[in-house]
Amino acid sequence: MNVSDTRFDRIPQISRPAAMAVCFFLMTGVFADIARLQSQDRESDGLASPVDPEALKKGLRLTPRAFRAAAEKIQPCLVTIESFGGSSTLSGRIGGIRQRGEGNTTGVIISPDGLVVTSSFNFINQPNAITVITNDGERRVANVLGRDDSRRICLLRIEGVSGLPVPEMVPVPDVRVGQWAISVGVGYGDSSPAISMGIVSAVNRVGGKAIQTDANISPANYGGPLIDIEGKMLGVCVPMSGEGQELASGVEWYDSGIGFAIPLAGAETFIERMSKGIHIQRAFFGIQSENSDDAAGDGGIRITEIIAGSAASKSEFQKDDVLLKLDDQDLPNVAELRNVLAKYYAGDTVTILFRRGEEEKSVQVELGAPIQPEAEDTPSLFPGNQQESRTRMSQQHRWLTTLRKGSTSLRFSQTKRFLSRQHAFDPEMVKGRESFAGTAVRVLVHK
Amino acid sequence: MTGIGNCLTFARWMGLILLIAIPNRALIAQGHLNGAFDEAIQFAQKRMVKVYGATAGRVEGFASGVIVSDDGLILTIQGVFLDGTNTRVTLPNGTQVPATVLRRNREMQLALLKVDLATPDFFDLSSEPVGDKGDWVVTLSNAFKVADGVEPMSVNLGIISLRSSIEAEPGKRDSAYQGPLVLIDAITSNPGAGGGAVVTDRGQLVGAIGRVINSSETNTRLNYAVPVELLKRFVDDTLESAAPELLADRMPGDLGIEVFRFGGPLSPAYIDRVVKGSSADLVELRPDDLIVSLGGTKIGTIREYDEVRKKVFIGEEVIIVVKRGNSLIRVPLLPAAKVDQ
Repeated sequence: MNVSDTRFDRIPQISRPAAMAVCFFLMTGVFADIARLQSQDRESDGLASPVDPEALKKGLRLTPRAFRAAAEKIQPCLVTIESFGGSSTLSGRIGGIRQRGEGNTTGVIISPDGLVVTSSFNFINQPNAITVITNDGERRVANVLGRDDSRRICLLRIEGVSGLPVPEMVPVPDVRVGQWAISVGVGYGDSSPAISMGIVSAVNRVGGKAIQTDANISPANYGGPLIDIEGKMLGVCVPMSGEGQELASGVEWYDSGIGFAIPLAGAETFIERMSKGIHIQRAFFGIQSENSDDAAGDGGIRITEIIAGSAASKSEFQKDDVLLKLDDQDLPNVAELRNVLAKYYAGDTVTILFRRGEEEKSVQVELGAPIQPEAEDTPSLFPGNQQESRTRMSQQHRWLTTLRKGSTSLRFSQTKRFLSRQHAFDPEMVKGRESFAGTAVRVLVHK
Repeated sequence: MTGIGNCLTFARWMGLILLIAIPNRALIAQGHLNGAFDEAIQFAQKRMVKVYGATAGRVEGFASGVIVSDDGLILTIQGVFLDGTNTRVTLPNGTQVPATVLRRNREMQLALLKVDLATPDFFDLSSEPVGDKGDWVVTLSNAFKVADGVEPMSVNLGIISLRSSIEAEPGKRDSAYQGPLVLIDAITSNPGAGGGAVVTDRGQLVGAIGRVINSSETNTRLNYAVPVELLKRFVDDTLESAAPELLADRMPGDLGIEVFRFGGPLSPAYIDRVVKGSSADLVELRPDDLIVSLGGTKIGTIREYDEVRKKVFIGEEVIIVVKRGNSLIRVPLLPAAKVDQ
């Protein structure tokens, strides 16, 4: 209960009549406030006086019990995710963090037959195999079905299960700024999850996809749930920032008081897409633009450059075209284009109304995915030996995990020295070791 | 200025009327409704000290400390800043006194100081754990040296996130401290906070803020306290150092498995070869099986496999779990003397 808004001894020092007016205003406000608090309290906990100091103290001392009860309620729906292998040394640091850490991570069961949602960050090193431990202590194999890069989450399926418990979800419109929020995760390695408390700081963040909280959100609970005081789920904790688009951007904000969770209530559409193996990516149109200031005076966005290979370049757009509407949504300025695009995904088809000279035209465009830089050409194989530097080892590690099907390859067996077994790369050979499509291990490209 | 003064007076006067008119609210403004934490904080502040020592390079020369006896025993964190001859402690009343280091503990990274002080205000260390997961905690520390002289410590509110029961597992936490931790969600992993107090909403000491450490599991800084029951044993000097494992009469055994090592120590432990006639061969482990767990320990990497492999003994059955395709296979292995090929 917030009572700190009643600091009467700090009335703004303006003038006497103004102060009187303010006091009167506050007084009426306060009466209403008290009436509301009292009626609320009578309804909720039956305390006679809502602002009795002892009652307040008692209430505060009861909240830890509520925190514990909420965490215990969600705990059966959590899984501990173990991952094996993958590139353990990613190039450089991810937002101040060198790598993901060696520990287990958290996931939330969302269907009795074993669908689990977790944060894509937990698989950023592209592990070769994933197992999960359910609340009953059983360890099982899990496979990644699909992921949603716009929300930084991915979907796993636990093999061979049924009747698993699922959490109760809070509908997104019911989430209130200021309500309790508790993050839960098993990343510290104990079977019992760690909890961190805070409040909901904002809703509809990052293109309307995330809830913001001041509870600690970190690799210790990425993939775990953010819950309310009754143990109902508000969302899945993920690293996210308003700026960066990389999978790990936002990790630099861990435990900072700015954390994000992705609500899953009403998320059937994107969960279904992920379950079909679709890799959901944010929509990328592919123009550089500026606010139009032309005589028509109806806003719009002027294309200053079209990025090669993008959706815009594959359509009929030209430099100096002025975009007016996207699916009937006005585009008054560049910022609004960003906001509108954030609602779409790569592969969505949109109708764009634009103006070229005097003429207005409407065109259908299939939005693309962000253009990835070309994968660097893998250097030729080196003979491994005791003196290999750490960098070389990590480079080699990267080759091991970024192989694509169809390469000619060599397989090494240390027991029989190098080059003893050589064969063309056979996808069957690495079957069952692929968690992310296209990932393989124990195979090196030979050039 | 008089105008502003008048207004101030007037505002206060009006405030007073409001306070009288609305008795319940009056308590708030008079400071009687500050919740459950103010008394705990007042209680704890009288038991906190600021510790100053030598600055060495980029290592800060300051820390926080708690008074744990009526005759001037002070707990703080161990650090090079205590190595100089000029260790000083600023008491709650602002006076600064010289301190001597009585004892240090490498594992817990704690130090016990002695100053010339007789006081009734000290933390009575509990020999039992204090506080459960979810309980409110208030942290008091001189993080970033914000408080000076008589100024009280900086205070933060949080809850106990987890009492971690993981004790000294190799490589689990690449810290100087390995032992039970009280993880909290108030941020304490800051310079100068070490040695500060973590107390309950009733002022009981939950533990002392430890040195800044990184968790190798999450690769993040940990916010934690060294639990009070350990502090008690350190102060009483009744900490037993971990006894070396008794390995007498046990011969390291061989599992009959070669793992694929080319990917380096951090790659997953795929079986590359199974020795004919070995225990692994008898239970039909095969090349390309991924070792998931051995003897109850998760095997994430070759390095972890090697750690656990050293602790299997001839004739003592261990359970191995391997992943083959989409199934997990759980079989017992009987380590044997190494088979010559």
